[in-house]
Amino acid sequence: MSESLSSEAPQASLWKDAFRTMRRRPDVILAALILLFVATMAVFPTLFTDKDPTRCIGRDARQRPDTWFRGEHPLGTDGFGCDFAATIVHGTRPTIALAVTVIVFSILIGLTLGILSGYYGGWVDAIISRALDVFIVIPLMMGAILLLSLFRGRGSSGGLLETVGPPALALTLFGWMEFCRYTRAVSIETKNLDYVTAARCLGAKDRRIMFRHVLPNAVVPVTAVVPTTLGSIIVAESALAVLGVGVQPPATSWGVLLAKGTEWAGGGYIYLFGLPLVLLILTVFAFATIGDALRDALDPKLR
Amino acid sequence: MGRYVIRRLLQGLLTLFITLFLLHYLMALSVQIRGNPALLFFGGERTPDPAMLAQVERLYGLDDACYDRTGDPCLAPFVERMQNYARGDFGTTLTGNQDVGELLAIWIPNTLRLFIFATITLVTLSMILGTWAARHHGRFVDHSVRGTTILIDSVPVFLVLLAYVYIIAVPLTNWARGIWGDESFMGQLFRPSYSADYPWVTIIIPGIIVGTVGLATLTRLVRASQLENLGSDYVRTAKAKGLKRMRITVVHVVRNSMIPIVTGVGYTFAYMLSGAVLTEGVMGIPGMGRMIFQAVQRQETNLVIVGLTASAVVVITVTMIVDLLYAALDPRIRYE
Repeated sequence: MSESLSSEAPQASLWKDAFRTMRRRPDVILAALILLFVATMAVFPTLFTDKDPTRCIGRDARQRPDTWFRGEHPLGTDGFGCDFAATIVHGTRPTIALAVTVIVFSILIGLTLGILSGYYGGWVDAIISRALDVFIVIPLMMGAILLLSLFRGRGSSGGLLETVGPPALALTLFGWMEFCRYTRAVSIETKNLDYVTAARCLGAKDRRIMFRHVLPNAVVPVTAVVPTTLGSIIVAESALAVLGVGVQPPATSWGVLLAKGTEWAGGGYIYLFGLPLVLLILTVFAFATIGDALRDALDPKLR
Repeated sequence: MGRYVIRRLLQGLLTLFITLFLLHYLMALSVQIRGNPALLFFGGERTPDPAMLAQVERLYGLDDACYDRTGDPCLAPFVERMQNYARGDFGTTLTGNQDVGELLAIWIPNTLRLFIFATITLVTLSMILGTWAARHHGRFVDHSVRGTTILIDSVPVFLVLLAYVYIIAVPLTNWARGIWGDESFMGQLFRPSYSADYPWVTIIIPGIIVGTVGLATLTRLVRASQLENLGSDYVRTAKAKGLKRMRITVVHVVRNSMIPIVTGVGYTFAYMLSGAVLTEGVMGIPGMGRMIFQAVQRQETNLVIVGLTASAVVVITVTMIVDLLYAALDPRIRYE
């Protein structure tokens, strides 16, 4: 089996192999479709609804979605008469934007600090390792709650940055450690390998060695944890919103919808809670499935 | 070994000290930027008499001038705080004026009980599921175990709790009490909220629910490390000797795959406190998570610092125990 594969693709790289293995799994394809759907919703909300989520008519409040996916309000209206389908669709962008921002900045911070501490060692390593310890000791949710409550501003109804900024900042500050640990371990492992020594003998500068020779080794372990982390950021955002310290209400996100939905669910308007919940679980599930498959595909031990 | 332990202890103490200082600085910044919590004493909107305000600030230890200068790290109050902590005096709460040390004696055991049940659930479930999946590697059981654990992990734990408390708990309690009676173990087990009269029984269910956090990760870890062992030479030898499958699984595979699992459990333990915030809030358990959240909301500087430091101590200790357990589990690992 493995022989026929390797003769088929003599030039196969780790990434190509991984992609080929992933493509064959039905669960991965399903997850990719879900993510594609969610991403489209975040980027082009107008494809899914022509209503404005901020245009609310009190007269139409609390219409149950009796005519599913058809009629004036395909998913009914919420407690203030806003079209619920439009609210969900427009709430997707902040949620996804937050998750992507947090992951991008966490990876950047983690990679930079990890490679600095792993490559230079000595007192740089000592300082960064202590910082790592300090941030690991304070759990993510606690840290985020602490920062967000201590420096809570007024409720913002402004642009995307103003809405998503504070929770994104808090989650990034307590989310970079995993990436830093992986990169540090990889750097320590590879900095004394023969090809790195060879590069140094040829007169390569520290910066070149770090980014051209050491850092590429960290890409695989870091990529393998990215999808799962994205899922957990979405969950953390919703938890913060339910606690009332995340994205602040005039703006929407899935977490805010869930937080509002819990108040209505008991009174028979379970769709206000159920629909965002289903969307959230599906997305997190899709991220986790892809993450799981990606780790397998990128792990040479499990081949 | 002894030197290693001492070095780790010193490192832990340093981490703890930095954490304390960082928390102190954060809280000082918050007082400087957001306004003095002593104002809360007068009930929010009213502007109190300056002399009275000064009195209350002195009462709460917020009278130092540094609290008026934004960005000042407030070193003098920090040193004072450290001296008080070193003497075992953890101060009092702003609302109710209770002794924090006494309160901790109530909160910490509750949270620990929660963690014990959560850890037991997590370890048992993931060991059984992971072993099962590894034995049926690549077949239907393997795929369904993975799919199910990922799905369970995808549902945010606080939503499971809300669903349990509002939908399942009351009918289940009524059913159990109808059969076994009010005061029995089963009658108390499914209660939708914590009861101080039954501190162990009423924490079991929330513990089990918290224990499902990280199930997919740990099951995955168990499965992967067992697969590695299943393919190893000593397992082949054991098979060739004609040992029973059960014996091979328990003695040769499970025992040798404990190392990554111990690490996994150690790290989930550190994350459990995050889960504890919402769990304790929903179930009304007077524990560390709920109290820290409330303290943060009320700007109770002292309570926040003490609470988070206590959790930091737990995390540092657990990580150290995990590292020491390596040596016990794998005789090849030696600490110099």
